[in-house]
Amino acid sequence: MRKYLEIVKIYIKTQIAWRGDFIIQILFTLTKIVFASLLWGTIFAGRDKVTGFTINSMMSYYIISSFLTQLDMSSKVSREISQRIRNGTFSKYMIIPINIQGYFIAMEMGVVFFNLFIYFITSVLWIFIFRIRFVFVSDPVVLAGAVILIILGLFFMAQLNYYLGLLTLKYEEIETFLMIKDNLVAFVTGSIIPLTLLPEGIVLVMKAFPFYYVTYLPSMLFIGRIKGELGMGLLVLSCWCVVLQAVIHATWQNYRVKYDGVGI
Amino acid sequence: MEIIETVGLTKNYRRFKKQAGIMGSLKGLIRREYEEKQAVSNLDLTIREGEFVGLIGPNGAGKTTLVKMLTGIIAPTCGTISVLGYYPNDLEHEFKQQYAVVMGQKSQLFFELTVEDTLRLFKEIYGLPEQEYQISKDYFVNLFQVQELMHVQVRTLSLGERMKMELIAALLHNPKIIFLDEPTIGLDAVASKQIRGFLAEINEKKGTTIVLTSHYMEDIKALCKRSIVINHGYKIYDGDTEKLFERFQKYKKITFIFHEPTLLPGLAFDARIMEQTPYKKVIVVPKENAAELLRALMSLLPIDITVEEEEIGTVVERIYQEGGKGFA
Repeated sequence: MRKYLEIVKIYIKTQIAWRGDFIIQILFTLTKIVFASLLWGTIFAGRDKVTGFTINSMMSYYIISSFLTQLDMSSKVSREISQRIRNGTFSKYMIIPINIQGYFIAMEMGVVFFNLFIYFITSVLWIFIFRIRFVFVSDPVVLAGAVILIILGLFFMAQLNYYLGLLTLKYEEIETFLMIKDNLVAFVTGSIIPLTLLPEGIVLVMKAFPFYYVTYLPSMLFIGRIKGELGMGLLVLSCWCVVLQAVIHATWQNYRVKYDGVGI
Repeated sequence: MEIIETVGLTKNYRRFKKQAGIMGSLKGLIRREYEEKQAVSNLDLTIREGEFVGLIGPNGAGKTTLVKMLTGIIAPTCGTISVLGYYPNDLEHEFKQQYAVVMGQKSQLFFELTVEDTLRLFKEIYGLPEQEYQISKDYFVNLFQVQELMHVQVRTLSLGERMKMELIAALLHNPKIIFLDEPTIGLDAVASKQIRGFLAEINEKKGTTIVLTSHYMEDIKALCKRSIVINHGYKIYDGDTEKLFERFQKYKKITFIFHEPTLLPGLAFDARIMEQTPYKKVIVVPKENAAELLRALMSLLPIDITVEEEEIGTVVERIYQEGGKGFA
């Protein structure tokens, strides 16, 4: 376990190695916040509610969901694995006594902890600067459930991206898979628009898939909505994690012999 | 005790064959053609504990493929392979705990961080107790004389300094076997000599088995008592390094630079003039006549002389032509 903690620490250190990057990340997040405030301010102009949301609950939803969306940096994992398999540098993970998936998850955690810190600061700044009356759940059970859901969601996304990266062993080029995944995730997680704005039938279908529970459900739980879906969310997401782990295991066992470590 | 053993080891690669141009690309979309390339063919090999073995061969000979199979990075197509009693491609942690790989053109270090940071990571990955880590680190830091460099960003190190750090990171857990792939590539003569000195000491003092691939004759000659020559995937020589060079490295290339325009005298032995200008002469001569050539031209007062060994590719080609197998 200590080896994975050290990997987490190493990646936190790499995130803060450059002062310029650090400052620009904060500024970039603040810029997004300003644009979002202008957009939702225009939509709510002269109206108290839009599809059951007040401007405060909508802004709270937006802050939380963008916080969660930006927390998940796992899409970099699939591209890094793919690139490393293609140029042969994936070998560096194969020659050290470590679980490769564990390495990438620990790497992801290092990045997440850093982002957690940045986005927490900028979200708090946002709430204060724009004097948003932040809508937040007070029930500790729902709060704890939502946090577990977020952890499971981040783990699922890391698994998914690790799996897609491994497909390079078989297909060599996985950009199409990644494009489909990125578009699907952006839509289904509700990070583009809240899913309550979509027809009920479509939302029902989405509930069978894990993405609904990654960003959308925890965001809604945090603002005190759809509490009844917590149990189902935990169950569905846990099942997907177990299934995907089995798929990853089978994929690695079958395809790792195809790795040819070209370029070294 | 034998710690590496292969019998009939073979590796075939399958690769997509594409014709050039747009039409070739379009044809490739409709009908794919593949070709098989045999990178290593039916290779039998045994290496004993504590040996320092050189793997020699031109580019594409199959050396790196062999190292990749020995370390488990790739799976063999057929044949048997055992390293420290393990089948490498099972990628067992207990196996990986006992060897290290250093690739001259690939890095294990984090460029934004210090070497100390990377070594800490390796300490945890290999599960080294704090005391053992400190002893091992101090030993190598003193050996390589890099105390001053432990707390600077890796990206600011020179190539030679970085290679020393790569070696420390690889050696920290005291592996039983080290696979070195071109460790002196791109290094100047001083840095190369230092690295060779360190490797010789580690082999001698710690009894570490070292498998070295290099294009540089100097590396092989200075370090490896035993050499294995590979060409087109086949082992064509396996034996004493000194005998290998004695028998197959037949010529020396000598370059003379003169201060004034100079004419070559007649030479009483076989010598090929590769380049001749009024100020510069490049001559290839059988090695037994090298001293005689030097004596003959020293009287012309050259301002600079360079003596070079034959390139590894030429030597391999000669072994191939003369049938090195019988010599093994």
